[in-house]
Amino acid sequence: MVDKSILLDNKKFTVGIFDDSDKLLHAVNTLKEKGVKIFDCYTPFPVHHLDHALGYHRTNLTIGAFLCGMLGCLSGFTLAYYMNVVDWPMIIGGKPQDISVFTSFIPVMFELTILFTAFGMVIMFFARSRMMHGIKEDLLSRRQTDDHMVLAIDNEEDQSVSNEDILALLKKEGAIEVNDSKEAFNTSLTSEEELAEILKSTKTSTKKTKKK
Amino acid sequence: MGHHTIQEVSQEKFEFQGRAKLIPLLLIVLGAVMAVIGSMQVKNNWDAEDSHHSNSHTEEVHDAHADEHSMDAIKTVSLNDNPNTESIHTSEGHEAHADEHHGPTWMTRVWANLLMNSYYFWLFAVGAVFFIAVNYVANAGWAVMLKRIMEAQSSYILVGSILLVGIVIGSKDSLYHWVQYFHSTAAGDPSAAGYDKILESKSWLLNNTSLFFFIPFVTIVWIMIRMKLRRNSLAEDSEKGLSMFKNSTKWSAGFIFFFAFSFSALSWLIIMSIDAHWYSTMFSVYNFAISFVTGLSVMMIILQYLKIKGKMTLVSDEVTHDLGKFIFAFCVFWAYIFLSQWLLIWYTNLPEETVYFAARLQGDFRPLFFINLFMCFVAPFLVLMMRNAKRSPVVLIIAASIILIGHWVDMYLLIMPGTVGDHAGIGLLEIGTTVSFLGLFAYTVLNSLSKANLYPINHPYVLESANHDVGP
Repeated sequence: MVDKSILLDNKKFTVGIFDDSDKLLHAVNTLKEKGVKIFDCYTPFPVHHLDHALGYHRTNLTIGAFLCGMLGCLSGFTLAYYMNVVDWPMIIGGKPQDISVFTSFIPVMFELTILFTAFGMVIMFFARSRMMHGIKEDLLSRRQTDDHMVLAIDNEEDQSVSNEDILALLKKEGAIEVNDSKEAFNTSLTSEEELAEILKSTKTSTKKTKKK
Repeated sequence: MGHHTIQEVSQEKFEFQGRAKLIPLLLIVLGAVMAVIGSMQVKNNWDAEDSHHSNSHTEEVHDAHADEHSMDAIKTVSLNDNPNTESIHTSEGHEAHADEHHGPTWMTRVWANLLMNSYYFWLFAVGAVFFIAVNYVANAGWAVMLKRIMEAQSSYILVGSILLVGIVIGSKDSLYHWVQYFHSTAAGDPSAAGYDKILESKSWLLNNTSLFFFIPFVTIVWIMIRMKLRRNSLAEDSEKGLSMFKNSTKWSAGFIFFFAFSFSALSWLIIMSIDAHWYSTMFSVYNFAISFVTGLSVMMIILQYLKIKGKMTLVSDEVTHDLGKFIFAFCVFWAYIFLSQWLLIWYTNLPEETVYFAARLQGDFRPLFFINLFMCFVAPFLVLMMRNAKRSPVVLIIAASIILIGHWVDMYLLIMPGTVGDHAGIGLLEIGTTVSFLGLFAYTVLNSLSKANLYPINHPYVLESANHDVGP
């Protein structure tokens, strides 16, 4: 999901916006059965089993974590060995200054393993999720960051299931809003008027839900 | 991949008959025969060796007081000295000390071996009782499908405790040198030649009352609480509702509170008092770590055995995965406790503390010391780290076996250096006894497993466990 930049190509998506994660999950399963290729889902929180339904692979971040840990462990050993044995040997508690004091290196190695893994994971996670400084948000709906879930289908080329059918299906599955040519927008490019309009529509839709 | 939810847990039973019944019985007999042959071998070799060695040492002992000798040995032991000179000192000190109490005989090795194996298998059952209690107190749901395995495993606590208490009391004169000391004339008399200040200061714990009353008392309380939990669990099968669950939770909380203190005291009394001059504050935690990780490994092996038999199909990979994680975590916990004990003793380098590791790091025990570290921590740590490993039955069985064998070596290192010393070895006697105990353990556990449904069908969390999901 993170590889897909939706902002750059000016793509048009068929989207269904949901306010219930169970409905979204059900819609994904139904659409997959019909043979519709789903581009991605954008949710403000992790939805259980959605990753299975979309057919995502398990992350490889754990291998990165292992490598970071190994690097940290080796760094710890190198640090302790270089300091205690090579560069500045010191007599501590009458212990010799060679590899036989390996035991005293273990806490350093352990701590650096943890440190490197923790920092490595944070950096890798942000890099993998494209959450770096200077990256603009690209959204299909403003409320996908709050309480709405967006199901995006990229069927500009693939027309095995027609747009009308997909829209009908999405509506049937309980989408509160459907659109067959939604373009991703960048929050930083939104003009003042657009923003006011979006806020207004957000307010009205909130009112509607309250009435229900 | 559609997600399908288990709505109801079916009843399932394990039948204890045929080969499952025959093999444990055969193991008991086979092990016993091996142990008897082994002990005869040990006896013959011992006599031959004794006629060789005894002359050289007894004279030495007559010159000086044995305890002065041993204190000398303790003073000279330092982990950073040249290992060769040390080993001479320690073995001298050890034998001098041992000779005062007529030295280890071949029966010492038999007793030490019995103590080691009875304690080792008893720890599986203790770990299982603790795990049941922890699951109740923590309100944990994931392991409920495995509850009957834990209960069956804990059923060995009755037989195991009887054996352990019997062996501890039977072997007290040959294994515990403090028992010999308190029987001697020097006890309680500061002016006597062999007066031992260290042992005297521990007489409030190391005495016959502890051996004859405290150990049986603690084990009886554990057995009673275990019986209560098991009865509640069986009653729940025919009675819906939360009453049994709530009652068990209360008993579990009480058990854990009592267990924390009593297990510590038992590990001091049964194992640590073998090296009665030495002490470590980490020792009871160390024993607890062994108990828990071996208990979980045994649980995993029983689970995989039942799965091979076509039972327990509702226990998903997710639950097995979490049990594998638990094993992995407690391997690390064991290593952490080991390091905590070792690091402080190594750093401070106090003679009365280092003597324990000196005996294990020098001479014949040295390779076992590293084998133990490798099998209990390094190997399972690397094997079980990968997610796929924790979901593969073959890898899990191998990892659990490595851990169990590793902790057998661990037990060996806890008990043998202080009792049998240089005469220790792994032969027919040791292996035979272990095989025999294994047969007894397997028989008890499988028998108990066949007495009830394999799933606690009315447990409030049984569906949570059946539908457990560890996530991506």
